[in-house]
Amino acid sequence: MSQLAVLFTSVALVVIGLYAAIFVDNIIKKIIGISFIEEGANLFIVGIGYKSGGIVPILAPNMDVSWFTANASYPLPYGLVLTSIVIGASTLAVMLALVMVLYRRYGTLSTKVMLADTSKQEEYDE
Amino acid sequence: MNELIPLMVIVPMIAALLLSAFSKFDKVIKVLAFVVAFCLPIIPLVSNYGLHYFGGYQPVLEPITNMTYHPAITYSFNFMQQIFIAIIGLLTFLVIFIYLTKYKKVSGPYLFLVFMGTAAVTALILTDDIFNMFVFFEILALAQVGIVAASSIDYSYEMALKYMILGSIGSPIMLLGIGFLLALTGSVNITDIVLAIRSGIVNFKSPVFLISLGLIFFGWLYASGLPPFHTIKSGIYSKAEPHGAALLQSFTVISMISIVLILFRVYSVLPIFEVLIVLFSVLAMILGVSLALTQTDFRRMIGFLAVGELGFIGLGIGLGTQFSITAGLFQALNEIVITALLFIGFGAIVNATNEVDTRKLGGLLAYHPKVSIMLLIGGLAMAGVPPLSGFQSKLMLVQASLSCGYPELSILAIMVSIATFVVFVKTFYSMFLRPKPHDLDVVTKDVPRAMIFAMAVLLIIVIAFGLFPDVVTNGISQYVGGMIH
Repeated sequence: MSQLAVLFTSVALVVIGLYAAIFVDNIIKKIIGISFIEEGANLFIVGIGYKSGGIVPILAPNMDVSWFTANASYPLPYGLVLTSIVIGASTLAVMLALVMVLYRRYGTLSTKVMLADTSKQEEYDE
Repeated sequence: MNELIPLMVIVPMIAALLLSAFSKFDKVIKVLAFVVAFCLPIIPLVSNYGLHYFGGYQPVLEPITNMTYHPAITYSFNFMQQIFIAIIGLLTFLVIFIYLTKYKKVSGPYLFLVFMGTAAVTALILTDDIFNMFVFFEILALAQVGIVAASSIDYSYEMALKYMILGSIGSPIMLLGIGFLLALTGSVNITDIVLAIRSGIVNFKSPVFLISLGLIFFGWLYASGLPPFHTIKSGIYSKAEPHGAALLQSFTVISMISIVLILFRVYSVLPIFEVLIVLFSVLAMILGVSLALTQTDFRRMIGFLAVGELGFIGLGIGLGTQFSITAGLFQALNEIVITALLFIGFGAIVNATNEVDTRKLGGLLAYHPKVSIMLLIGGLAMAGVPPLSGFQSKLMLVQASLSCGYPELSILAIMVSIATFVVFVKTFYSMFLRPKPHDLDVVTKDVPRAMIFAMAVLLIIVIAFGLFPDVVTNGISQYVGGMIH
């Protein structure tokens, strides 16, 4: 049941994030949407490692190995998510830095205004 | 265990960090950047083939299923990786050389981005771990954005942000796909995943497996700049410095083939996989060359031609035979070299004229004969004119399509090659052969010697691969045979 709740929450985060990233004009809201997608993916991976009634996957010195393997939750997804969070933070920092530069240049957070010239070029290409 | 294998990633990565840390000491970073860049193509050539297990954790035999699994990140180094890493190292050296000779005061952060990008693509092609692939895919995207933003070209920040937004949507979607694959197989090691699928432990007909293909495939389309991401990819090339664009396109090609080879190993059991690859590759070929025909900015023109060439690579891999995949990988190697030559050559013209619009250029053959002749040969190689390298790989691709029973794909490949020839000749005529416009000033500026040197080195490779393709294709074919069987 808990795993199902995690799955639904992660799907909801990804869908809300995709909506914001694609349809919202404000660049900060767009970036928040992108963070939603990233966190949805991270939550989903954390959910994979979850085991109902399981223990923390740290093998104590006096613990029986076969009991530990049968009861510990799967640690690999947690390791992956930690890395993913760090990458997400770096990406977020670079995006916000670019937004700061562009905000100083254009005085607005509207992507329609900020990226107007690059969009015109793409429309011409298409 | 081969200890030199991880050095191919660690050396550029540490160099990047040192260059960033000592960015105030101009002479120190110039010397360091040059020395490390010089070493980059040498390390893969002196390293032995083999595997490297990080932390020394060897594969373990699992007693219940009686199968081996890999507890640590594994790097695999073979002829295919060697040739690609050596070429990327050489290209990085040439780009660094151009950069160091072009500017009196160099930027530590820019050099950091170049080396970090090189480290990331090297890791991408070496890794046998799908999550490690994702990590370096993200690092590469950040390096690419930085290289574009660091250029002094108008709207480079805007293009960098746009690329970053798309990338930030594509990457978590790819991560979700990896998550689904992890949920199915319990592993992120590609060999283990493949073994689990082939031995029937994982049902490859399950919808979760299909969903994971769709999600990772989406990330691959973004990384490769295949449709629908082709315009943004050619956009970032046009907003980077020409030598930076030369490196960016090579990053794209390497990330494309690294990810698609992983996808091939995991998903080739699904018949739809090869159809998808061929479909998007054909779209890229048609869109790339058609959009290149309409361009007046020659940087965007090469960008779109590069997208079209990516379609050829995808076509080879999508056909799925040993010969076709070898042809695709040989085409990838040729594309890296030829497109880099074109970007650097046209960059030399920008340097001399400060103009990128082909309608405003003309008569440059008289002023820059060396550059024009080298560009002409590069363009002919891209179009597939014999005996240059592009001809050999495209001929192999045509033969592969015919032998797979798809003559229509062969005809398409030939037509796209002819269209590429037309695009290039049209641009070459506009820039070099027709009379010089009165308002064009080209007399006072010379082309930097470093650019001529870089072009000459790349041209030698283009001719050598064209004359002796077997030197490369035999080794690649052996690797592909091992991968398929």
